Amino acid sequence: MDNTVAAHAYLEPFAGLAAAGLDRADLPRILRELPFGVAVLDRERRTLFLNSVLERLTGFVSAEVAGVPCRHVLRGSFCLHHCPAKDCQPGLGGQGAGRPACPAGDAAKSGEGPPSESREGTIINRHRRKVPVRLTSVPVLDKDGGLLCTLDVIEDLSALKELEGRLTRTAGPGAIVGRSAPMEHLLRILPAVAASDATVLLTGESGTGKDLLAEALHRASPRARESFVRVNATPMPEALLDVELFGQAGPASGQADGQADGAAPRPGKFQLAQNGTIYLSEIADMPLAQQGRLMRLLDEKAVVPAGGERPMRLNVRVVAATGRDPEALVKAGLLREDLFHRLNAVRLHLPPVRERGEDVQFLLTHFLGIFATKFRKQVLGFSDEALSLLSAYDYPGNVRELRNMVEYAVMVCAGETIEPAHLPPHVRFAAPAAAGAPSAPSGLQGVVPPPASDKAGTSGTPGAVKKSAARKPTDRQKA
Amino acid sequence: MSKKILVTLYRNEVAPRFDLASEVLLVTLDAEGREAKRQELVLAHSSADDLCDLILDREVSVVITGGMEEEHYHYLRWKRLEVIDGIAGLAEDALARYLSGSLESGAMLFPVGAPGAKLPAAGGGGHA
Repeated sequence: MDNTVAAHAYLEPFAGLAAAGLDRADLPRILRELPFGVAVLDRERRTLFLNSVLERLTGFVSAEVAGVPCRHVLRGSFCLHHCPAKDCQPGLGGQGAGRPACPAGDAAKSGEGPPSESREGTIINRHRRKVPVRLTSVPVLDKDGGLLCTLDVIEDLSALKELEGRLTRTAGPGAIVGRSAPMEHLLRILPAVAASDATVLLTGESGTGKDLLAEALHRASPRARESFVRVNATPMPEALLDVELFGQAGPASGQADGQADGAAPRPGKFQLAQNGTIYLSEIADMPLAQQGRLMRLLDEKAVVPAGGERPMRLNVRVVAATGRDPEALVKAGLLREDLFHRLNAVRLHLPPVRERGEDVQFLLTHFLGIFATKFRKQVLGFSDEALSLLSAYDYPGNVRELRNMVEYAVMVCAGETIEPAHLPPHVRFAAPAAAGAPSAPSGLQGVVPPPASDKAGTSGTPGAVKKSAARKPTDRQKA
Repeated sequence: MSKKILVTLYRNEVAPRFDLASEVLLVTLDAEGREAKRQELVLAHSSADDLCDLILDREVSVVITGGMEEEHYHYLRWKRLEVIDGIAGLAEDALARYLSGSLESGAMLFPVGAPGAKLPAAGGGGHA
């Protein structure tokens, strides 16, 4: 190719800007210094220029890929089937030979400016590394709407994807752990239950992880980006609870005492959970009157705020929990039978630790890792004696108690192994026959953590992730 | 002894990405190194894992492809295959160069510098 002609072709896209006073020689310098990757592509999407960031990202030097179709330089997942400028490419089903008219040109002529399009995907660079990126393709048009060139802006999303992965690991459905058969079954069905919109009733003793399971259901559901609102129906006057749950409809004109005159409307917990999930943590604590309103809400998908007349449509998924036997609660008249049947569409039961036999050691090790990291200690494991005591203990406070116990043990342990002396006294002397430990002295000394605190957020089993191993190519070579 | 060469395809080019290739060209050479058989296979879907399976099933000795992840590259190398990746160019060019013994990983077979004459490689054939 004649160098003069070629040079003209290379600079042609910048001619318009040059006429406006911008020195053409400045453009590569300007593009080179931008903090994100930029590729300048000609009308047939052949590479003209890569800036420094994109050179580093792809591993290619601008000069050695000039003229090469961009799909061989970017190697993007969007290049083959979803190329952003496919319609503008003469060779790829576009507008034929010569300068192609670009669909973006119509928009430009109408004064809207050329549209740019973003999409996420991956590229594979010269070093065989797959990098998540966002590509924004910006067509550069002449005054007639013809395509001059395209700027492909590439942003490296590695850091964002890594953060997303980290957040998913710490707060996602993977926060529930367990290896016993009942827990494995629960973990297996969890995604399907989460994906549905059915009301869920969680049962299980205190400390088994009902709160965590409710949150996990929400996070794994299509409503995950919306609110998760927890309601604890603690004893309070029914009128206040009504406002707390279902909201206040502005000035309460009908009230006899007139105290709410001029009061601002106040959203209730159900309104706050709109499009998300509401979690009723102990359903039997809710007065029967509110249970009746809840039942109507489930039926009609609408609620009338306190002091209001017009129903407000609600789209809320309800997850309820109880630490007691729900059938017994119905018999005792503490839970309305009709509400029970509505909540019981899906029932998930969390077994107590004493029924999760093989899980005890797993949970002990799991929490040991968490607290050793938290306290920056080199505690590596449990001695046989300590493990024997911990295995023999029946954990009336369930996972919450087990977790607190490990936290205490790691806290007081000065060495690498947790010994019986590092365990709370009530564990050391709880089962002398089973564990062969000495009998309890007349007065227990030392700091003892509460067996089962009600502190929120400690009842579950957070941390570990059941991360599925990346699928490897299978070994099927015959030769 | 015959030898099989697999080239991943995108139209008439070497597929820019191994994991996205939906067609492959399978060329069998006879004992003298002459082309004895040629097959084009359309894959049910693009998948690097499935492509690795196919390569091993068909007892391929040489893979010529575009960008490829390290994991699959090392896997096929571990299986004692010759893998020439990072190829940008027409499939026939790549094959011809391999047969003449001049194809190396990362080769740019498109005319480099064609639109940008200011660049050092301008006007040349650009074959790496």
